[in-house]
Amino acid sequence: MSIGALMGIFLGVALVNNLVFSGFLGICPFLGVSRKVDMAFGMGCAVTFVITVSGVVTWLIVHGILAPVGTAIGQPHALDFLKYVAFILVIASMVQLVEMYLKKFFPPLYTAFGVFLPLITTNCAILGTCLYIDMKPETQSLLNAAIYAFGGGIGFMVAITIMAGIREHIRFSDVPKCLQGAGITLLVAAILALAFTGFTGIGK
Amino acid sequence: MAEENGSNLQQFSDGVLANNPVLVQLLGMCPTLAVTNSLENALVMGMAATFVVVMSNVITSLLRNLIKPHVRILIFTLTIATFVTIADLALKAYMFEVSQKLGAFVPLIIVNCMIICRAEVVAIKNGVGRSLADALGIGLGFTIALSILGIVREILGSGSLLNFQILPDAFVDGHSWVIMVLPPGAFLTLGAVVGIVNQIRASRSKGGAA
Repeated sequence: MSIGALMGIFLGVALVNNLVFSGFLGICPFLGVSRKVDMAFGMGCAVTFVITVSGVVTWLIVHGILAPVGTAIGQPHALDFLKYVAFILVIASMVQLVEMYLKKFFPPLYTAFGVFLPLITTNCAILGTCLYIDMKPETQSLLNAAIYAFGGGIGFMVAITIMAGIREHIRFSDVPKCLQGAGITLLVAAILALAFTGFTGIGK
Repeated sequence: MAEENGSNLQQFSDGVLANNPVLVQLLGMCPTLAVTNSLENALVMGMAATFVVVMSNVITSLLRNLIKPHVRILIFTLTIATFVTIADLALKAYMFEVSQKLGAFVPLIIVNCMIICRAEVVAIKNGVGRSLADALGIGLGFTIALSILGIVREILGSGSLLNFQILPDAFVDGHSWVIMVLPPGAFLTLGAVVGIVNQIRASRSKGGAA
């Protein structure tokens, strides 16, 4: 696999098919934790970390356990119905593991992530990325899957940090009362999504 | 017991209107934005999520005395994942085309915070009747909210409703607002609808106070 092709996968998922603006994944934290830039950046880092680890582990589970066992009993897709349950279990336990590991070995990082780590279990960006890695033809090798997951996390971080930067300024502007809070955030997200459609075609 | 029946009805209607999961509580945003580019997708998504929330609320409520507090989130997630798998297989078997269009958003019902929120807030503390009423109300409220978005986006974006063309040819041939079925249109429509709902709620509470 050439570096260029890997770059293509990375840019494709980070910018062109940005998780938030064109994939509609992770909207809840995107709306909830985008009030301040430093919090948004912390959330973005935590998500990038967990998304990369769980992307790799779920790839290993599908290609290392579910598919070989299925092939062994003669039906390659026999265990596919276990995928969703397995994925969500992996993500929940990965989050827990990462939390314990950081607490023990990197206490400053752990305090910095704070409440974001446990929240990530129900972040649909993580499960969504794992599902896409399982579905897409270009992520059938482990390296590609890892790059795809990492790119997705970076895309989420970029989106939520930009949004937080804009929202810090919106506080000083005169927003109609009924649009304050979620309304204006969604309208700004619409304009940002419009801007991100400009990336269409990069990496082809 | 009569009082409990009355409150069940209240619980149901709260889920549809006063506590609408999407428009008021702003939960379950991802499928709301992603699958509402046509009314058909929105309705199927609403039905699938309703099935899952009803089943997960009933099961959680039945098990509520057995679940230990520190593993409850895991139990909720596993219950939900099981029923999402059932819903996904059923959609693939009987409505294959729609299931292809919804793609990853059917399995993503697992992490829909609306469903886990109902298990945590209602089902773990209340009997089966009340949990069922609550789940039906929340499911219906979710479906209605998705349908509103689906109707607006399908009419403006493709000039049709449930795949029947309803706007004149002059609009559909190259002049439809394609942006409405693309991602920006989703954010725009939801932002506008949330704004309108807030306005209605504000004027109502003012009217009630006066």
